[in-house]
Amino acid sequence: MDLVSDQGLRIDGRRPKELRKIRCKLGVFAQPEGSAYLEQGNTKVLAAVYGPHQVRNRSKALHDAAVVNCQYSMATFSTFERKRRPRGDIKSTEMTLHLKQAMQASIKTELYPYSQIDIYLEVLQADGGNYCACVNAATLALVDAGIPLKEYVIGCTASLGNGDVPLIDVSHLEETMGGSNLTVAVLPLSGQIAVLEMSQKFHVDHLSLVLNEALDGCRRIYEILNDTVKNHLSEIGAISGWGKSDL
Amino acid sequence: MAENICISLAVQRVSSSVPPRGQLCKLFSPGEIIFPQSDFMRGHGTYPEDDVLKASVAGVMEQIGRLISIKPLKSRYNGEVGDVVVGRILEVTQKRWKVDTNSRLDSILLLSSVNLPGGELRRRSAEDEQMMRKYLIEGDLISAEVQSIYADGSLSLHTRSFTYGKLSQGILIKVCPALIKRSKTHFHNLPCGASIILGKNGFVWISPTTADSNSSGGFAQNLDQKVGKADREVIARLRNCVLALATNKIPLYSTSILHAFEESEKYLVSELLNPESMLDIAILTQHKIQMTEDL
Amino acid sequence: MLTSKTFLRKTKRGNVLKIVREHYLRDDIGCGSKVCKKCAILVEEQEAVLDDQLPDALSKAYKNPHYLIVDTNVVLHQIDVLEADVLCNVIILQTVLEEVKHRSSTIYKRLKDIINDKRRKFYVFVNEHHKDTYLEREAGETANDRNDRAIRVAVKWYDLHLSASQAHVSAKKRIRIVLLTDDAANCEKATKEGLFAASVEDYVCCLKDSKGLEDKISRSESHFDEGSKEIFPCHLTPVQIHDGVKSGKLLQGSFQASRENFLEGQVSVESFEKPILVQGYDGLNRAVDGDVVAVELLPEDQWSAPSEIVLQNDEVEDEEEIVEKVLKVETKQEKTPTGKIVGIIRRKWRQYCGILQHNALQNTTRHIFVPAERKIPKIRIETRQAPTLMEKRIIVAIDSWSRYSRYPSGHFVRALGKIGDKETENEVLLLEHDVPHSRFSEKVLSFLPKLPWIITDEDVAKRTDLRHLDVCSVDPPGCTDIDDALHCFQKPNGNYEVGVHIADVSHFIRPGTALDDEAALRATTVYLVDKRIDMVPDLLSSNLCSLKGGEERFAFSCVWELTPNAQIVGTRFHKSIIRSRAALTYEEAQLIIDDDKQQTSVAKSLRGLNKLAKVLKKRRIENGALVLASPEIRFYIDSETHDPIEVQAKQIRETNSMVEEFMLLANISVAEKIFAEFPEHAILRRHPIPPPSNFEPLVKAANYLGFEMNTNSNKELAESLDAAVKEGNAYFNTMLRILATRCMLQAVYFSSGVVTKEDFYHYGLAVPIYTHFTSPIRRYADILVHRLLAACIGADVTYPDLLDKKKMNNICHNLNYRNRMAQYAGRASVALHTHIFFREKVQNEEGYVLFVRKNALQILIPKYGLEGTLYLYPPKGMKQEVSFVYNEENHTQSYKNIVFHMFDPVTVQLTLDRSNIQHEKLVFKLVKPFIPNFSVSSIDEESKENVTRVEENVSEECGDKAGTSRNPVVLQQMKRKDEDFRSKDSSRKKKHKK
Repeated sequence: MDLVSDQGLRIDGRRPKELRKIRCKLGVFAQPEGSAYLEQGNTKVLAAVYGPHQVRNRSKALHDAAVVNCQYSMATFSTFERKRRPRGDIKSTEMTLHLKQAMQASIKTELYPYSQIDIYLEVLQADGGNYCACVNAATLALVDAGIPLKEYVIGCTASLGNGDVPLIDVSHLEETMGGSNLTVAVLPLSGQIAVLEMSQKFHVDHLSLVLNEALDGCRRIYEILNDTVKNHLSEIGAISGWGKSDL
Repeated sequence: MAENICISLAVQRVSSSVPPRGQLCKLFSPGEIIFPQSDFMRGHGTYPEDDVLKASVAGVMEQIGRLISIKPLKSRYNGEVGDVVVGRILEVTQKRWKVDTNSRLDSILLLSSVNLPGGELRRRSAEDEQMMRKYLIEGDLISAEVQSIYADGSLSLHTRSFTYGKLSQGILIKVCPALIKRSKTHFHNLPCGASIILGKNGFVWISPTTADSNSSGGFAQNLDQKVGKADREVIARLRNCVLALATNKIPLYSTSILHAFEESEKYLVSELLNPESMLDIAILTQHKIQMTEDL
Repeated sequence: MLTSKTFLRKTKRGNVLKIVREHYLRDDIGCGSKVCKKCAILVEEQEAVLDDQLPDALSKAYKNPHYLIVDTNVVLHQIDVLEADVLCNVIILQTVLEEVKHRSSTIYKRLKDIINDKRRKFYVFVNEHHKDTYLEREAGETANDRNDRAIRVAVKWYDLHLSASQAHVSAKKRIRIVLLTDDAANCEKATKEGLFAASVEDYVCCLKDSKGLEDKISRSESHFDEGSKEIFPCHLTPVQIHDGVKSGKLLQGSFQASRENFLEGQVSVESFEKPILVQGYDGLNRAVDGDVVAVELLPEDQWSAPSEIVLQNDEVEDEEEIVEKVLKVETKQEKTPTGKIVGIIRRKWRQYCGILQHNALQNTTRHIFVPAERKIPKIRIETRQAPTLMEKRIIVAIDSWSRYSRYPSGHFVRALGKIGDKETENEVLLLEHDVPHSRFSEKVLSFLPKLPWIITDEDVAKRTDLRHLDVCSVDPPGCTDIDDALHCFQKPNGNYEVGVHIADVSHFIRPGTALDDEAALRATTVYLVDKRIDMVPDLLSSNLCSLKGGEERFAFSCVWELTPNAQIVGTRFHKSIIRSRAALTYEEAQLIIDDDKQQTSVAKSLRGLNKLAKVLKKRRIENGALVLASPEIRFYIDSETHDPIEVQAKQIRETNSMVEEFMLLANISVAEKIFAEFPEHAILRRHPIPPPSNFEPLVKAANYLGFEMNTNSNKELAESLDAAVKEGNAYFNTMLRILATRCMLQAVYFSSGVVTKEDFYHYGLAVPIYTHFTSPIRRYADILVHRLLAACIGADVTYPDLLDKKKMNNICHNLNYRNRMAQYAGRASVALHTHIFFREKVQNEEGYVLFVRKNALQILIPKYGLEGTLYLYPPKGMKQEVSFVYNEENHTQSYKNIVFHMFDPVTVQLTLDRSNIQHEKLVFKLVKPFIPNFSVSSIDEESKENVTRVEENVSEECGDKAGTSRNPVVLQQMKRKDEDFRSKDSSRKKKHKK
């Protein structure tokens, strides 16, 4: 089945280079230092950031940097068929590692020796690009938590439709029906790649094509997230008097 | 009971917020360039890269002379010397207590920084070290002041004043530290009949007003004392008001809390937990503050 | 720009799942009309397809110029009408497109072809994603109703949209939309909403110039047989079938009609080793060959055996009797699972070639169409052009098959040409076998290299220069597409260096070009008796790629160092430049080898090759490679009339085998290399081990004559075949080999990523891994292998599709399909020419009994490689004094003391029965042994002048699928006209396998 029709539309009606609709919100929880909710199409993710706080397990503490601790979990109701274990399976563990790698690339951990930053991610609904949604949500939560970052980390997927049409932000349907998927997490302003993963092989000829699309997607997601952050800041900043600490 | 339960879906929840006031500020987000030159001193929330100064957090810029810093609207507590804080004892070790003050590292309360019973100038003996648990054990809440900051960023506290010390009966509320405004005093005996300590670290302590203010210093704890229902209700109402303000990001200080308390009178205490009434109170408080400021 | 809409869908997959998918609605989808200025701005890239200037009043019924919108059923059933050039400016809604895609992939493909044809001006409107035309399905509404509503909404939208942009035009001149739908209810609703709507029939009839379009209309079945009696039982509903298949009560499989008996067929079901037999009208229940059907297995006591009767539909008028006869067949033969078809899961109807049956009634529009393919039932059609079509071969499509009609009803598609005309017959043959044979398009030809073609220094730098080697090629006479050449010399250390040089076709055919796509589609060059359908354009096949003598050519070389004992010491592959010293024929090469006086380097080289080849062949046979047989003959064709004037068998010389051995060796070496380098993506060829049941006919046949066939392994089979020699019947062994050939499965191409390594085995050649490398000019698989090998040795780069397992596998499927079809087409062409040869001739020939059947003998005539049926019972209605006794135990037919055994020699008289123009039949009549009142007297032996020898060849692809061994169809190999075509491949390639 073709992922892109002759009329240039994908199965869900997007054009190959269009992102899914992104909706996000910062500060959704009171308890954690930072939190965010993000929807990319039907993929819905909650992120919560605690810390930096003292490392509880002293043996793990680093004298020159903060420890970043991630946890990826998928709600049992997040997939079509009910998941038995929300976390701890091989896939989640792998996701956790990749998330940690992406977030560490941006967090200025050197500012917080002996500290720990916890990032918890919960996928509420999975419809493709879970990893990317998690990266994006985690970034928002970190920003919300006021933790210093080099810059945003943005994740985006890309794939090939009909053999040679690059598609970005692939949905679950496209993920399963299409061929290989490429997932990147990048620092969009400097263009550095934090994580790059492919579900299968890509031919060399296609790789740069797909990668460039994915990077472009990241830049566009960055714009969207940045706008959200600014709106959120100006809203709460105005009420609280811009954080001016003195009366 | 049943009528008290109110669960609303996310879509139905109140999404409006308190109308903003004041001017718009230039906002920065992580990675954004603040100044294209680097001849500024970099303060918190900034970092230099490729000869330009970039923001590392999302917030507003503060400039003091050539020192540029970006202040995030929300973050963990960054202690400063002289801050009044409320904390919880986490651990008792040799000659010191470790205290959770919502800062990024545990704070330290040295045995030598507390007033022990029997006079300020008492020498600390080995005996005292063994007695530490008698004074403060894990889980105890204290009010204290930041004495100094260690090199790694952790805070050293002291309670060498009658105003500081162990807290006995009351309610602790944790709010975002940025909402606590610095003021001359953070201890208030509110006219409504309760005391409040606005810890700079975002821990707010509400307790019944006791006649003897001296007793709050030191390690005395009177858990047997009965607190009357009226007092409890006032405390609960205060707590809900603080929460309502905090949820709506309104700065907390005695005036705002008092305003909120007054506005809340039309609601039952329990009704104050509804998001709608919380917002209502926040808006009214905001309005009131604005009026008084304009005067 | 994006509006998001989610919709819910419930599917059952064990559990009920709620699937939520996004559905984006857009505002940037244009209407595609040149009239509309708004949409032109909206979407710049999209070209406006629909004309703004329409011929006024195309139709008598609709005065306004208009575009057409069709509904799904119109596309599905009236695709032939849509294909006609008369209808232009048609809007295809996405709703319709998707539904068509879902319902029939072939029609979808045809529809897409129409859409892609710029002249036709078909525009696809993506109504499902347009914000104004998307519809939510309402509660209680069926999917069909929703789609119909969606279509009407789209029509309405178009009407409004277009009238808005034509505000300045008077209402009468405005372009409107006409909805074509054969659903009366839909039509009515549309009319009520103020839309123009009509059925296809009404619309076409109102056209001012319909150009014969009426005949192509598929009419609903109600036209026929209303009120007549039911012939077929009802089909089950799709839901019942689905449940039945799921619960295991019904079985799903594909139906294959019998070629011999129109009331019999079988259903291959995956879970059953043996196909399920279906018999009679009730059993077949309107299944047409190829359909995917649901079959219900009968209880075991109702099982029956395939009837041994050959039953042709043409003689039969009162079927009742026949049905009885068929069903009553009570044989002691082993009963096979029998079932009846209760429903059709998927129709595999296509278009069929055939002729109109002569109709006694004058001036009627209803006619019966007789397909050329015997497996297909006759078809009723309506046409007004009957008088002209009577003479012609025509194409017809089936529309429906009602329970009340003995035959399906269909409609006329197009005429091919006059019956009996050679061109027409070839066309029929190619169409029936789905051989793409149109001329190469301009686009394809544009990728050919420009002439004059020269070798540049750059080329020389990139390739190994082997021009100094004494390379020569050995091919059949007249061969123009020489794709292999050889060299050989003895090295100082006593070892031989042997090189096989294959035309470097992949240098000229670059991946992704139209030329490549075309070659991949054609997959193989098809050889008919008098025609060759090239896979690549002539410039390449006969010139630039062909390794002609004395010309410098690019080659892909495989060079070994071999010990005198033919053990491989080392193998090298490189792209090279060679200059063939001589393009020899097999005969010339043989003469050079045999002539000791010749001591040129070419002669030495040939002798070395010959010596090594013998060693290789011996070793190969020791390993268990099979030597099988199928008759192979060659026509001599009159250069003026192009009619065959003589038939001769091919001669096989040592040199044939010499070339063959080295091609095998090269193929094996290359297979190993590419598999080592690309374990997931190598294109290989395997020949599956036949299931033991396949050998039953062979084992039985040998047993009658007291020979034991051991079929456990290919080696044992080869040995048993060697041992089965019968004194006095020299042809016996050959016949056994012919039978063995029919037990084989087809060898197939595959991508190594999709098959486990154990299954790579090539049964016929007895090698663990094999591929095709040596004939890139005529086989696409070889081109792929060349590309892989080039990537292995760093001479070329890979491209994405080459490393896509799925895509390669699809290509392999196509290659296998085309190869099979090419083979069938070749055989059909031989049959055609055999018939032409026997026109006006009566001849006596020696033959052998190949099978003994209940009412006939199957006779093989080695001279013509011809197989035919000698009926022992008279045609219906005729009396015959002689009656034969059939002995099932021994499979013999006897009359008095004359007994026919299998493999017995007989003499038969051949004549061509031309009474049925569609199926000219060769009639076999017994001459010897003479049976009074049955045999015909021998015509004088005068026609024996053309004495021919029959050569038996090993056939590569001779294996027919299981089950067809019962087929009396002539199994012949192709023969080619020498002057024009090389026949080397046929003999050689056939040898490779088995």
